[in-house]
Amino acid sequence: MDENFHEEQFREITTFTPPLYKQRYQFVKDLVGKYKPKKVADLGCADCTLLWMLKFCRCIEVLAGLDVCESVMKENMYRLSPLPGDYLQPTERSLTVTLHHGSVAHKDPCMLGFDLVTCIELIEHLEESELKKFPEVVFGFMAPSIVVISTPNSGFNPLLPGVTLFRHPDHKFEWNRGQFQSWALEAASRYNYSVEFTGLGHPPTGMENVGFCTQIGVFVRKYPQASGSAHPEKPTEAVYKTVFKAVYPSLKDEKYLQNAVVSEVIFTAQIIKQSLLDHLLAEHEEYNDDPTERKSKFQLSMNFLSEDLRKLVVEKNIEPCVNENVVYIPLKTIFSFPKVNQLCGTFERLCKLITGKVTLSSDGSAVIFNNEHENEEN
Amino acid sequence: KTIGLQISAGFQELSLSDRGGHRRDFHDLGVHTRQAIEHVKESKTGSSGVQIKLLTNYIRLKSRPQWALYQYHVSYNPEMEARRLRSALLLQHEDLLGITHAFDGSILFLPRRLGNKVTEVLSRTRHGEDVKITITLTNELPPTSPTCLQFYNIIFRRLLKMLNLQQIGRNFYNPGDPVSIPSHRLMVWPGFTSSILHYEESIMLCVDVSHKVLRSETVLDFMYSLYHQVEEQKFRDTCAKELIGLVVLTKYNNKTYRIDDIDWDGNPQCTFRRADGSEISFVDYYKRQYNEEISDLNQPVLISQSKRKRGINMPGPVILIPELCFLTGLTDKMRNDFNMMKDLATHTRLPPEQRQHEVKRLINYIQKDDNVQKELRNWGLSFDSDLVSFSGRIVQGEKILQAGSVFDYNPQLADWSKETRGAPLICAKPLDNWLLIYTRRNYDVANTLVQNLFKVTPSMGIRMNRATMIEVDDRTESYLRALQQSITADTNIAVCVLSSTRKDKYDAIKKYLCTDCPIPSQCLVARTLSKPQTSVAIATKIALQMNCKMGGELWGVEIPLKQVMVVGIDCYHDNLSGKQSVAGFVASLNQTMTRWFSRSVVQNRGQELVDGLKACLQTSLREWFKWNNYLPSRIIVYRDGVGDGQLNTLVNYEVPQFLDCLNSVGTDYNPKLTVIVVKKRMSSRFFAVSGGGLKNPPPGTVVDVEVTRPEWYDFFLISQTVRNGCVSPTHYNVIYDSSKLKPDHLQRLTYKLCHMYYNWSGVIRVPAPCQYAHKLAFLVGQSIHREPDLLLSDKLYYL
Repeated sequence: MDENFHEEQFREITTFTPPLYKQRYQFVKDLVGKYKPKKVADLGCADCTLLWMLKFCRCIEVLAGLDVCESVMKENMYRLSPLPGDYLQPTERSLTVTLHHGSVAHKDPCMLGFDLVTCIELIEHLEESELKKFPEVVFGFMAPSIVVISTPNSGFNPLLPGVTLFRHPDHKFEWNRGQFQSWALEAASRYNYSVEFTGLGHPPTGMENVGFCTQIGVFVRKYPQASGSAHPEKPTEAVYKTVFKAVYPSLKDEKYLQNAVVSEVIFTAQIIKQSLLDHLLAEHEEYNDDPTERKSKFQLSMNFLSEDLRKLVVEKNIEPCVNENVVYIPLKTIFSFPKVNQLCGTFERLCKLITGKVTLSSDGSAVIFNNEHENEEN
Repeated sequence: KTIGLQISAGFQELSLSDRGGHRRDFHDLGVHTRQAIEHVKESKTGSSGVQIKLLTNYIRLKSRPQWALYQYHVSYNPEMEARRLRSALLLQHEDLLGITHAFDGSILFLPRRLGNKVTEVLSRTRHGEDVKITITLTNELPPTSPTCLQFYNIIFRRLLKMLNLQQIGRNFYNPGDPVSIPSHRLMVWPGFTSSILHYEESIMLCVDVSHKVLRSETVLDFMYSLYHQVEEQKFRDTCAKELIGLVVLTKYNNKTYRIDDIDWDGNPQCTFRRADGSEISFVDYYKRQYNEEISDLNQPVLISQSKRKRGINMPGPVILIPELCFLTGLTDKMRNDFNMMKDLATHTRLPPEQRQHEVKRLINYIQKDDNVQKELRNWGLSFDSDLVSFSGRIVQGEKILQAGSVFDYNPQLADWSKETRGAPLICAKPLDNWLLIYTRRNYDVANTLVQNLFKVTPSMGIRMNRATMIEVDDRTESYLRALQQSITADTNIAVCVLSSTRKDKYDAIKKYLCTDCPIPSQCLVARTLSKPQTSVAIATKIALQMNCKMGGELWGVEIPLKQVMVVGIDCYHDNLSGKQSVAGFVASLNQTMTRWFSRSVVQNRGQELVDGLKACLQTSLREWFKWNNYLPSRIIVYRDGVGDGQLNTLVNYEVPQFLDCLNSVGTDYNPKLTVIVVKKRMSSRFFAVSGGGLKNPPPGTVVDVEVTRPEWYDFFLISQTVRNGCVSPTHYNVIYDSSKLKPDHLQRLTYKLCHMYYNWSGVIRVPAPCQYAHKLAFLVGQSIHREPDLLLSDKLYYL
């Protein structure tokens, strides 16, 4: 929906760096950085670029997009899928991204409960009838804490060469500053929001009275979060069609947490086991015809663990031990490793998470390995 | 530039923008070699053997009758640069185009024809600029046109995405159901590799199960743990050794890169020039773009010489931050971890039944998913629901000939080590004068070895004296000094017992004995010798290996073809130093194909291997003449080590050079030449239908119908057996053939040659000369780094 400016084709005055569409996205990103919303919806999400940028914002847990054109979303929706990296190292935050096919003139319960709703270059594409319903749907029904609306400033158009009527053939109207502000103020007061105006794309010197190329209204709800019952006539019926849904792996999900903990426990236990065995080997090896090799082996085993961990492993009473080819690594020791500790929080939780997934000693206090000589034929 | 060229270039753009598309012609689509081979124009199938019913991993792609794909060229006036903008402007006219379309910015594909040959429409940019778009029909493509094939593959990728599979590299994986191997921080994603091509009778989709090994640690994690394991001064070298050549996956997008170098002087605070010309540091860039905080500001940066063409504004290599890159694949260290590999194999080596089941599962998903079916329907395409099946042939097994005796073996097992144990060899080389070097610690092991060799050699016909036993310190220099002092002109072979698998010692010994002082050598690791229960069996194996290295011959098979020289070529690419490539060249010297002439070519980056190969062919002919007093009337080259998309180069450059070389021998010398490209890594799978279940087809199974390519003279041969999982057929593509040999004879000869690899008493998956060439190239590439002395060239010293 947004296009690049082509510098060489326009007079200097009409070029913006970075291009305006990028500035608009950055504006939203900055807003997200400031207010840290958890649930964000982009109305008129088109090729999903803004949503794609927002998915990297750590505060956001729910992202939704809505557009009347299904095919443009479908063409681009895979940009919003989790990446392999998201699966390899699931993070603490959860994230669900959903795309809906539908119109901002209709109410659908899936749009309830959002903290931020963005309408970037959307309203000028609405038919009169749709524009009429828009405030009620966005401010009255969705009623998020913050709404951002951007739209072209028709007052700027004379500075854009080639623009005769509207900037885009699909635009149903373009407003000057006065028109936009009065519309916005009316909607804000009707639905109990405050609104502040700003914009992007400064006019050239001497033409300051024209205003920004893109005008923006930031609406902030004045009353606290509406509870579900506050709205008597909220429809329960879904009218939007879900086009895409992606649930990102998160440690909040028991399945991913368990996987992460089990992996970390086994990996940690392996490290301890190896260093223990190397240590033993180095101590007991009395027959070695290369003294330099012996030294390096010993160093290796000791270097492998950092200073404090080494203390833990070797000095604490809960010492890992080797007993008739079985190596015992106490869970307490494993729990003291920062990564494991961080993942589980409490020792009880650790025990619970690894039950049945890791081979434990009979009393359940230690991870055990059978240290039989590995069969190394090849 | 012709229109046609522009079109294909534009189309490649489309596939690229679809991610993982084909920059190169991975399927060697444009190479038509069969038409030049007169005697297989009519039929390229063999005839001998018994029929076997086979099921495959191929599915037919069907199109509506009179189906065609309409290709349009789309131009903009004024000219628009950005692809996304071009696409947005065109799609303002979706009512005209319909919802089913594929557009790459200049080429548009539609399943139907527009009303006019040339359609002009007007679009307006956001800034009110009117743009005239001209949509011109350039082609009406029949289902089998090469462009259509590329198009099918792109559409199929779309379908896989609809099924929520993740694309990594060229394949698609299912992230929902990974297998994790915590002890190595590995994660294995099951997935598929797929391609749609025009095969013998029809257009088919080939789907094989693929597994992606991912690691839940970043390159930086890996560097840290390595840092604690090795000495400081060795750290950078070890790091380079472990990391260079590995493929990494970036955290913030879905791209894979190969690490080509590590820049230790670089760090995340360095800046780079962005597409818009501004300078930004990596730290700021990743923070701003992806909210990724780089915590370690002193880490080096990784360099990837991307083969992908990048934007005009971003020339040069790609710089990557270790902290933001996940490792993928296995390191050599993991590959050497027997237990882990066993563990991994249980997940990745699927037996035939299970493999077919997984393939069918994907087909079922495709058949059942509404969106997928809708997309296919809109294009007028559909997939068969059944896997393609047909009959293959099992060619006759071979008899093993060994010094007057004839051995039958069970062809199902493809192994005759039991049958021929202790039997006299065709040609036994005496161990009159040989060295045995060991450390004090391994004295007993060395002694036992000599005793065991005394036990096993007489029945083979090997005459053996006591070895000259030399005890040394466990240091490389001691070994080398001992070799220097003790090797005489009469020394048959030097045997070194090593106390560990340390590569540097091995390399030094091999280098010395292959170049400075060329005699056959045998290195042994003490631990393999120390197991009492298997020591006699091991001694048997060592005796056979040593005999080959000294120029002995073990067994043969019947070779009816006369005056034929068989050549095997394989390559080794050193991705560590990134500079060297080594080709092994091995040619038969006698009628029975039991003696071989071996040379190697060491090439630096940028040089063409073929010049060296030409020289090898020349010397091998000279050598052949010395042995036989005449020149071979046929030369059959088995060329291994050819990458995807390199076939064209081979046909147009390498083969003419071979011909050139043969022509230069003499005016009256006109031998017949056959060049066969051997490929082991194919995604084709064959399952033998037996009873109610599926099994691996037995060795000797030949497939030359249905799944071969009409434009090639090619066939599949399964010569080997596998203990676990599915056997993978080897693909043979005869790209040049003036021999007029019947396809059946060539197939039989190929199978016979798979019996002739002396390091394994059984059938292997490639012809022996290829495996010898592989061994040689590997030794030279890994340990010696220059061509071994030619004095050794008539022996299999590299086994």
